[in-house]
Amino acid sequence: MLEQLLIFTRGGLILWTCRELGNALRGSPIETLIRSCLLEERSGSASYSYDAPGAAYTLKWSFHNELGLVFVAVYQRILHLLYVDDLLEMVKDEFSKIYEPTRMVYNDFDDTFQQLKKEAEDLAEKMKKSKQPVKAINANLGKKQGLGQKGGVDGGNQKKSCDDGNGDKDGNKTKSYVYENGHTNGEHVSNGEVTVASGVNGKENRSSNTGAFDKDKLQKMRGGKGGKKTNTAAVSKAPKEELKKKPRVWNDSPPVSKLDFTDPVSENGTDKVPVVAVEHGESMMDREEIISSDSDSDEEEELGKNAKIETKKKGWFSTMFNSIAGKASLDKADLEPALKALKDRLMTKNVAEEIAEKLCESVAASLEGKKLASFTRISSTVQAAMEEALVRILTPRRSIDIMRDVHAAKDQGKPYVVVFVGVNGVGKSTNLAKVAYWLLQHKVSVMMAACDTFRSGAVEQLRTHARRLQIPIFEKGYEKDPAIVAKEAVQEATRNGSDVVLVDTAGRMQDNEPLMRALSKLIYVNNPDLILFVGEALVGNDAVDQLSKFNQKLADLSPSPNPQLIDGILLTKFDTIDDKVGAALSMVYISGSPVMFVGCGQSYTDLKKLNVKSIVKTLLK
Amino acid sequence: MDFEKIETEVKIHVQKWVGEAQLLIQRTSPAQLYVAVAVVVFTMLLLILIKLFKRKTSNTIVLTGLSGSGKTILFYQLRDGSSHLGTVTSMEPNEGTFVLHSETTKKGKIKPVHIVDVPGHSRLRAKLDEFLPQAAGVVFVVDAVEFLPNCRAASEYLYEVLTAASVVKRKIPLLILCNKVDKVTAHTKDFIRKQLEKEIDKLRTSRTAVSEADVTDEYTLGTPGEAFAFSQCHNKVVIGEASGLTGEISQLEDFIRNLVKP
Repeated sequence: MLEQLLIFTRGGLILWTCRELGNALRGSPIETLIRSCLLEERSGSASYSYDAPGAAYTLKWSFHNELGLVFVAVYQRILHLLYVDDLLEMVKDEFSKIYEPTRMVYNDFDDTFQQLKKEAEDLAEKMKKSKQPVKAINANLGKKQGLGQKGGVDGGNQKKSCDDGNGDKDGNKTKSYVYENGHTNGEHVSNGEVTVASGVNGKENRSSNTGAFDKDKLQKMRGGKGGKKTNTAAVSKAPKEELKKKPRVWNDSPPVSKLDFTDPVSENGTDKVPVVAVEHGESMMDREEIISSDSDSDEEEELGKNAKIETKKKGWFSTMFNSIAGKASLDKADLEPALKALKDRLMTKNVAEEIAEKLCESVAASLEGKKLASFTRISSTVQAAMEEALVRILTPRRSIDIMRDVHAAKDQGKPYVVVFVGVNGVGKSTNLAKVAYWLLQHKVSVMMAACDTFRSGAVEQLRTHARRLQIPIFEKGYEKDPAIVAKEAVQEATRNGSDVVLVDTAGRMQDNEPLMRALSKLIYVNNPDLILFVGEALVGNDAVDQLSKFNQKLADLSPSPNPQLIDGILLTKFDTIDDKVGAALSMVYISGSPVMFVGCGQSYTDLKKLNVKSIVKTLLK
Repeated sequence: MDFEKIETEVKIHVQKWVGEAQLLIQRTSPAQLYVAVAVVVFTMLLLILIKLFKRKTSNTIVLTGLSGSGKTILFYQLRDGSSHLGTVTSMEPNEGTFVLHSETTKKGKIKPVHIVDVPGHSRLRAKLDEFLPQAAGVVFVVDAVEFLPNCRAASEYLYEVLTAASVVKRKIPLLILCNKVDKVTAHTKDFIRKQLEKEIDKLRTSRTAVSEADVTDEYTLGTPGEAFAFSQCHNKVVIGEASGLTGEISQLEDFIRNLVKP
């Protein structure tokens, strides 16, 4: 049974809700849907799952882009109503007939809605009956699949579905949101066998690995562990952390006995190294960005050329005619070529393939059914919509004013702890020094903590930076537990009154289980204020994998019930990529966290803020 | 193809017309031609001059504030006098040019007001920049009930509005409207004002540090050295109270009426 069906405008006014199904919805599913899905450019997916204490809903929606209306249906997740999509379409058609912009009350729609509901239910009944014999056989299979079979085609997927299933059943309803990307039941009723079959524990519970990543999903999975031991938990038991850290052996060469090559003489601050603090002028963070003011006409001309070349076959006159007279309404086929061209363009700018795909789907969903105004081409409409979507994604969701946070922490009397994480070789130590330099310029006292106790020369590197910047550094040499080093560093900072502690960690691959565990331990023990993921702008499709796995591991492997996830991104090596700036977009889309700094060179002043408008311009050039 | 045939036909017609026009021009005497051209130029100049001098005062009021503060409800109260079935988070601005609902009963010629309700969600902040340049007044709506948890975010947004180039240059008056005062747990407007002033004071010190790096022009707010107070702003800042759900919006309407003189 449907819980609720709402019709509202894109401006926010609710036009109609079904009065009969008057059950108040628990929590605020509609608000969450808008904030986490529709405004995050994920409106191309089929449905959205919402969990609140006491209820688990699935939401499906449909847009009427021409009139600017949104139709949302909410129902309990355990029910698999097959008629919802058809019902939404029918409601959309009927309502658009009676809609007027000036009218606010639509009470007469109640009766129409009852009729439509009956029709849709009957249709679904008929469909179900026609599959009755097949269903019985498949239901057993479904049961086996759903309930805790570890075998499974995709081990990871099955595990998650088990957890989710248990979570729902045990009533483990922590308030969290599971992102849904499956093209589930309802869409294609003809494929009902598969959907109905695995319906027991919910096909809808199966979270797709390739789907875009929702931070909050991790919280849900954490909460849903219940009493079930999963594979990850099993692995954690096996290699118990030894008290003494064994040196890592990468190949067959005999383990090196000594890792610490520091020269005992230079440790006491010799005169060989310049002791004077560096003054390189102001950091680029504070310098105004000169935006090249290319007028939009340049883009239009280029676009015009492309459009002309494409449509040469049709003849000049037909395109002119279409653009002057406008088109009745845009449908998928019309948007296809323009979107494909845009997607290719994005991919040439180094945006990850699946991100570009999802973005294009979302833009298509927002443009379908819209009437083309006269004197506009389809390509320019699509371009404008895509530009808006990109600006929306890249605009940070929350404030990235670090200075303000630092001052707030200072008022409370404790140091502001920043941890730099990332894979090998992205530039963590270099950019840590740049951030320290910028903070120093704003009269904030900084302390560095050398928690990269693995790589040869890491501690020396930081020591050199600290000497040049004249700030204290806390280090314990090599082969020590980074979590302990960080903890002591923070204590030291509180003692000597430093405002900020910058913690450098060793680079690690996102798939490396023991290293990720060590990282989550460091974070759990120290509870930093800001976790910065350092990613290089040169990365391509791997950005998606890196960020999602980092977040996932941080959530899974943390012993606390509310694990901390990545708060911000530091994009490095920006000067090397010219105009292939797509990595920024992939990273922001997949993780939802904003880009706080951009590293654009190898000296202390090469650190700047992300300029959203110029990135969007470069992406769509 | 049909289109190509039509194409060629059109081309032939156009050429004929061009030829006829040329003949016409050759036939008329030079004096007449000069007079005709002069008249056209003169009228054009006249129109341009009139447009420049006619300084039309804008009648746009912009409603802004954090998401969930009640802007869309206020918009519909101003327009229709009721909030209908309720609202959800806006994804697009609501615009309308109308006579305020409470004044529809008044006799006489009343100038309609153009009100814009800009979404408060942080991802949609850019929309505000589209409407600020033409605004005659800005209303910053604050949720008086959930004030303290959102105090920082609200003051940051308010700071951005106060330091926006168009607001500073044109000294656009600002009304800080404490909404939802019908609830028992709502804070008073004095408390809200003091909290906002304190937060903006703190923001001033941290923001001026990085102000030049920002894309939007920013200006230092208030007098440096003193604690910030809204009275220090060059544009007029007032505080008012309202309740969107019950329809108590008299202070808001007074503000609007003062700005958009009938």
